[in-house]
Amino acid sequence: MPGMNSGVNVNDPTVIAAFKAALLHQGVIALVIFCVLGVAWVTVRAWLPAAQAGGQDGLGGSAAGAVAEPSWRQLLRVGFGVLWVFDGILQAQPKMAIGLPSQVIEPSAASSPHWVQHVVNWAGTTWSYHPMQAGAAAVWIQIGIGIWLLAADRGGWSRLAGLVSVGWGLVVWVFGESFGGVFAPGLTWLFGAPGAVLIYAVAGALLALPERVWRDRRLGQAILSGLGLFLVGMAVLQAWPGRGFWQGSSHGHQGTLAGMTSDMAQTPQPHFMSALVNAFTRFDEAHGFAVNLFSVAALTLIGAAFLTGRRRLARPALIAFTVLCLADWVLIEDIGFFGGLGTDPNSMIPFILLAVSGYLALTPGTAPAVAKAEDDRPAAAAASWREQLRPASIRRSVAAAGFPAVVSLGALGLIILGAAPMAAAQASSHADPILAESIAGSSAPLNFPAKGFALTDQHGQPVSLASLHGKVVLLTFLDPVCTTDCPLIAQEFRAVGQLLGAASKQVELVAIVTNPIYHQVADVQAFDRAEQLTQVPNWLYLTGSVPQLRQVWRDYGISAEILPAGSMIGHQDIAYVIDRDGRVRQELNTDPGPGTTATKSSFAVLLTDAARQALRPS
Amino acid sequence: MTRHTRLVSLLPLLAGTVLAAGCGSAAHQPGGPAAVPVRPPSLATSLVTATGTWAVAVMGGPAADHNNFWQIFVRPAATGRWRLATPPGVASNGGLVMASPGGQSVVAGFRPSQDLSFSPLATTDDNGAAWTPGLLDAALASVPDALAAAPDSGRLLALLASGEVQLSGPGGTGWATLATHRALAASAAGRACGLGRLTAAAFSPSGVPLLAGTCTHHPETAGIFAYTSGTWHLAGPTLPARYARQDISVLRLTTIGGAITALLAAGTGSATQLLAAWSTGDSGAPWALSPPLPLHGAKPTSISRGPGHTVAVVLAGNHAQALTGPAGTWQPLPALPPGTATLAPEPAGGWDALAVHSTKLTIWQLPPGHTVWTATQTISVPVQFGSSG
Repeated sequence: MPGMNSGVNVNDPTVIAAFKAALLHQGVIALVIFCVLGVAWVTVRAWLPAAQAGGQDGLGGSAAGAVAEPSWRQLLRVGFGVLWVFDGILQAQPKMAIGLPSQVIEPSAASSPHWVQHVVNWAGTTWSYHPMQAGAAAVWIQIGIGIWLLAADRGGWSRLAGLVSVGWGLVVWVFGESFGGVFAPGLTWLFGAPGAVLIYAVAGALLALPERVWRDRRLGQAILSGLGLFLVGMAVLQAWPGRGFWQGSSHGHQGTLAGMTSDMAQTPQPHFMSALVNAFTRFDEAHGFAVNLFSVAALTLIGAAFLTGRRRLARPALIAFTVLCLADWVLIEDIGFFGGLGTDPNSMIPFILLAVSGYLALTPGTAPAVAKAEDDRPAAAAASWREQLRPASIRRSVAAAGFPAVVSLGALGLIILGAAPMAAAQASSHADPILAESIAGSSAPLNFPAKGFALTDQHGQPVSLASLHGKVVLLTFLDPVCTTDCPLIAQEFRAVGQLLGAASKQVELVAIVTNPIYHQVADVQAFDRAEQLTQVPNWLYLTGSVPQLRQVWRDYGISAEILPAGSMIGHQDIAYVIDRDGRVRQELNTDPGPGTTATKSSFAVLLTDAARQALRPS
Repeated sequence: MTRHTRLVSLLPLLAGTVLAAGCGSAAHQPGGPAAVPVRPPSLATSLVTATGTWAVAVMGGPAADHNNFWQIFVRPAATGRWRLATPPGVASNGGLVMASPGGQSVVAGFRPSQDLSFSPLATTDDNGAAWTPGLLDAALASVPDALAAAPDSGRLLALLASGEVQLSGPGGTGWATLATHRALAASAAGRACGLGRLTAAAFSPSGVPLLAGTCTHHPETAGIFAYTSGTWHLAGPTLPARYARQDISVLRLTTIGGAITALLAAGTGSATQLLAAWSTGDSGAPWALSPPLPLHGAKPTSISRGPGHTVAVVLAGNHAQALTGPAGTWQPLPALPPGTATLAPEPAGGWDALAVHSTKLTIWQLPPGHTVWTATQTISVPVQFGSSG
């Protein structure tokens, strides 16, 4: 998929260091946010007498005399809150900034239909263009949602946290999990269908329900019935012939499930974990039919028991489901978060949380018999919103804000802390220069006179370095019949011309031929046409006789080597930044690396920054 | 309907959607291969000039295309030993084609690869000791006869990947469009032929541009077109009546030593037959046809012309057939050495098989009357792995 892979190594030390630094800086800001909120809260409570009296907890929540949160909701809120925090911490793994698009998102979309790949590719490209911002955004948004869920136990803040969880969950499900693979072949509940984050979103939707339905027994029935129907559907899919699940192995090839688990076992992880998965793989290879029969039967029976909505059947089914999920989590999903690029503990823990919550919601004894809460009255709630906008009311609400509201506000700050830089980066269509820096390495500032040259441009006109005095010169060396790096560098230079905008009039983009055989004006003209450089006003592609060219190559440390057996000319990829006074100010390694859209864009930004720097008065 | 009932009634729909998604994503089972006309062979071939024999073969690594570099080898008549003669300065991993205007001159054209989009050229008059660079600002087609050189005048004819045909002025400069596939297909000759793809370009012995392609309208005349008096007209051989209802493809079209040689494939799939045709002149000159060679589904991978009217065809599976001329019959050659890329004619009759194993080229000889190939020479080619990617 174009753009999905930035081409930069996931272990690249430059990117990892930058990612860690970004997280550290934002972590400090996060601490400051919480400290400021804490101080403000303590101060307000000390100064405003209303605070001592208690009352509204902001966003319609209630502090005193409020309805207690039922146990099913508490489990769902705390469970998924912990999961979001854990997922956020996993997103902070060093490889994540570069590796997530190419090694997590792209493989998950690879077997999906073209339209899914198209949708996912957009997100992957966005991420690969701004890996620091995207990686950090995922960390802080998920930690923020988790903290928010953990802190806000009821009221508007809590329900809003549920909605945010739904929104972000769907974003991750679509773009990060390629719709959980539901459009790809090989879909199976055993391996995580319909995508772990979709269950996060379902849980978020349940948490966003108004308090009046918290104690409605039909909610528990609906949760378990929905889950039961889903499991029966998954059982049918699991039993469907021709999908390779009935065979552990066939003609020396692994069956579908054994193939999946053996791939999972390759993930770097503690030996005992991979040993367990490998043992299951061998067992499945030998008894594939029996394993699938057991899976189909278990899913069908558990699903049917959940569908009845009766506690007497649901209780043993819940125990069986929990055991099945845990076994699947360890033996098939391989825990899910090892290897440096695991984003979550996969689907089984969320499934257990959902099922247990459904069962608890089914149980009448878990809901306290408390009168309707204040915010259960829609008309009164609507009136209170208008009321709350008045300054006196706002002052009262701020004074009465409880600890959960303050932490929720801090969590919202965390989410904004992650999302805002990503949104700002997204506004630019150009990639972060960190990608180019990771490929090219650092360049020390220079300051010495550039060696002069007198050559011929693509129009046959004489051009010398002296004739370019007063302008910044970005100078590089290109082979007009080169098949790889030179066309990429030329495209980067063309992009520099666009990025410079009005300043491009003060910059000359100059290339000098590095092929001692193909160095005619016709050759450079053909190159210019191929790379669409003919309309770039400040582009000069210079050539000359072989002795003239060799002199310039010597002066600028270029060796153009004629390689045998059908190889192109070997030469260095270097760019010099020459200031208006004809002094060399920077030497940049312009080896374009993998030449992906992200790295090309990143190099263009790097070169543009270098040119702008040289334009500034010294 | 209660809220609960409504919720439950939606669940089957949800489950059905999930099931449909899963079931609908089963792998597509493609149908069997359609009977399509035989395509031109690979670029691996050989060429005989006044002072030597030339061959093209691909060498390098199997892992990625950009590590497979095409090479030109020459066996100067004076030494009788093969040597590497690939023109320098351009990556050859897109392919190489050769043409000769006669005499000792040879023109090589690089097919573009990776981010290169046009075709550099190189010309030699001294058996590849020195090459003079040239340029075609367009991409050559991937057929062995994409480039042709006119006898004496120094003009070149290029069949492009786009289907366009360009003609140069003397010395291989000043290229101009001579024809496009669309225009040729729309001409009277093209309509009569039902022109499919263009497969070869050549000059007649007197310098008339010729093009060849696939005819799908089953004309009596094979799809060879000559450009005279500002128009294209069908100039190919007239085929016997038994080919009247078959697609006819021209696989090769070359002019050497005052004779045009065409290799034709008649029919499709396993019923395809190969025919050679020879002519000594321009439009209207008679063609001689060889007996047919049933291919039985075997794909021609390389076709080479030898001195006189000799032709050799390498077929998939290390088989080869050779033909001495219109009066001769197709003769199977002994099983080819493994890795044989192409056959090149020996000056004294017989054939050399050029066998490739990664970076090693082995020359196997089959003198006239012999039944066993004998290895006579090995060349290690210094392929620069990774130099193009």
